[in-house]
Amino acid sequence: MTKKLVCLLLILLCIFQSGCWDRRELNELAIVLAAGVDSTPEGNIELTVQIVRPRAFGGGAEKPGGQPKENNVWVVSQEGRSILDAQRLLEKKVSREMYWGHNVIAILGEDIARDGVSKVTNFFSRSPRVRETIWMFVAQGRAETVLNSHSQLEITSAQAAGFMIRAGTGIPVMLKDLKMMLASQTTHAVLPCIGLTPSGSPQGVGMKENIAEARGKQEDSTQVHAEVTICGTGAFKGDKLVGWLDISETRGLLWLTDQMEKGVITVPSTEDPDRQISIDLVRANTEVEPFWDGENLWFDVKIEMDGTLLEQQSMEDLTNPQIYRTIEENVSRAIERRARQCLEKAQYQFEADILRFGEAFHIKYKGEWAQIKDRWDEIFATADVNIFIDARIRQTGLETKRALGE
Amino acid sequence: MLEGGKIDGRQAVYLSITYIMATALLGVAAITTSFARHDAWISSILATVLSIPVAWLVVKLSSLFPGKTFIEYQEEILGKYLGKITGLIYVVFFIHICSFMIREFGDFIMAAFFEDTPILVFHIIVVAMGAYTVRHGLEVLARVNQIFLPFIILSVVMIIFLTIPELDFKRLLPVLDTSPVNIIKGSITPLAWHSEILALAMIIPFLTKPDESGKIAYKSLAMVGFIFLIVTAGSIATFGELVAFMSYPFLNTARIINIAKFIDRLDPLIMVIWLAGGFVKITFFYYIAVLGSAQLFKLNSYRPLVLPIGIILVAMAVAVGENSIQIAHFLSHIFPVYGTFFQAAIPFLLLVIALFRKQGRTPK
Repeated sequence: MTKKLVCLLLILLCIFQSGCWDRRELNELAIVLAAGVDSTPEGNIELTVQIVRPRAFGGGAEKPGGQPKENNVWVVSQEGRSILDAQRLLEKKVSREMYWGHNVIAILGEDIARDGVSKVTNFFSRSPRVRETIWMFVAQGRAETVLNSHSQLEITSAQAAGFMIRAGTGIPVMLKDLKMMLASQTTHAVLPCIGLTPSGSPQGVGMKENIAEARGKQEDSTQVHAEVTICGTGAFKGDKLVGWLDISETRGLLWLTDQMEKGVITVPSTEDPDRQISIDLVRANTEVEPFWDGENLWFDVKIEMDGTLLEQQSMEDLTNPQIYRTIEENVSRAIERRARQCLEKAQYQFEADILRFGEAFHIKYKGEWAQIKDRWDEIFATADVNIFIDARIRQTGLETKRALGE
Repeated sequence: MLEGGKIDGRQAVYLSITYIMATALLGVAAITTSFARHDAWISSILATVLSIPVAWLVVKLSSLFPGKTFIEYQEEILGKYLGKITGLIYVVFFIHICSFMIREFGDFIMAAFFEDTPILVFHIIVVAMGAYTVRHGLEVLARVNQIFLPFIILSVVMIIFLTIPELDFKRLLPVLDTSPVNIIKGSITPLAWHSEILALAMIIPFLTKPDESGKIAYKSLAMVGFIFLIVTAGSIATFGELVAFMSYPFLNTARIINIAKFIDRLDPLIMVIWLAGGFVKITFFYYIAVLGSAQLFKLNSYRPLVLPIGIILVAMAVAVGENSIQIAHFLSHIFPVYGTFFQAAIPFLLLVIALFRKQGRTPK
């Protein structure tokens, strides 16, 4: 009898084991895929979120017959004094509880980035609901504009941005990386810049495009598709945005910080300057060594790169070792040019060490570092940088030299 | 004899590993790093080395009074009245630190997983399970832990192994960048944790071979030290000096695991470590508090004390601090001194007095 009673009690216990206060039912959640933060003229912040619309996701195959395709996400904004405040106010409009666990990206608007990002980054790292692996971006303009978009290939533009940044098109920065850069005594932060650019024609009827090229002209509004685009890098000094690096300077930044993973280097041909040769990057490695003699600081940057020649517009003979060597040297120079562009901006325009050179210095000169760490920005700005590049083309694809008159 | 069960050497080693490591894994790296910065891993090695004398102390004392627990031989060393008073102080000390463990246990679950659930729910559940286990005695606890510990170790190793792609050991450089003073300061908190090896003195009489207690203590400390080292070094290699500002660095380390977008979101492993380890640790200190008070008052059975002390523990766990910042402050600033005082300084005095008065079994 007692045993039966105990069994019954144990079974009853199961009902309460699932938890009462913190149960989260999937159909009661508003899953946030992307968040954007802008500042308002009154000094408040405006939170924009992309929320999954489960009905749009559930359909699977697209509906046939040219019916208007629905957007898979709901983009909604709310002003508030803090992000959590705005989120709470947003729940007046959103019928479900916001769930941040699947958030892919967070975009900081240009205004708030210029005011200082530390004002808004804390929510993302303090709250256990947001993961520290979300990708961080800074928008050219307002974050809300960028989020109010859709992707042609991915289900949402947030996922598209996540995939692109992982593919090495810009400088990949996760929340944890941003926090580390902001906490560093010498390194200044960088964030990939994101925007909308005209990208082909839209594939769905009746979908609003949110760029100047499409706006205002009602009949043209479906002629241009606005796709999220990585458009460079935002450089910070302290927690404030001070300027932009364009795509080519961003490549330089990737080279100098040893984060180059994929890419194509195009150099003019050795015989015909109007024709180009493109080399696909296979692997790259960068080492930075600082030197300090008590007054002067200089860096030796050694870059090694292996690539595959995959396109040759010109006709030169690749089997000729001299020509081959010249192409490799041209590649080296092309890399150095990009690195120099980036260095120039970092040293002379921003006067901010966005290249992590300070960390290399700290490791090599730990005694001296304590004396100069407070003046690091000035010292870094006047440092000489020697760049040594060893570029090798290891493969030439499926062809050797080109057939004459092909 | 109050405790009828016997545990063998292996069970004792497992038990000591769990009851020291369980709560140290998640948060202590942050405290160490806040003093020693990226040299915190040196502090953790230092703490392990410094804890060896504490273990020696504990083992030496117990070998002087075979068959007696820490509470019992205090009376022999200090005399009936003074011994009773210090014994009582120690029982209170065990209850006090145990209530902190319960609070930490609830705090973490609330901070990271169950945000809206009242903390009392976790306190009551863990103490209720603990009470059940304590009533069944040391042997049951040791066997439960024999099942749990492999899972705990496996989870720790898995987390560290899977974070390898995120590790950047340059973040540990330059070595010895922090001043030696700060490295020593950083080692005091883990040392206070390692010194919990003192609790072994309460169960040495119940070992099948009490002579092996030295081996058990050193083995467990070496293992705990090693795990603590890889957790600290791993956290710093992942997050750099940010570790100092985190509440639970090892949780953050587990949260960033992402192998090919396929293996990710491994925080449940942290739950395994915390629930299993926390339960064993809390139950163990609960047990020695109950056993100690029964011995203090010369009861025939410790069972009548299980429930009252359990209720005290639940209440104390709420009362020890108003918020998580206070708990963190206690653990980083007060416990290092408080813990080391009770776990190392007083036992040292006891040993000196015992040797001076030529008490106990004379060494051969």
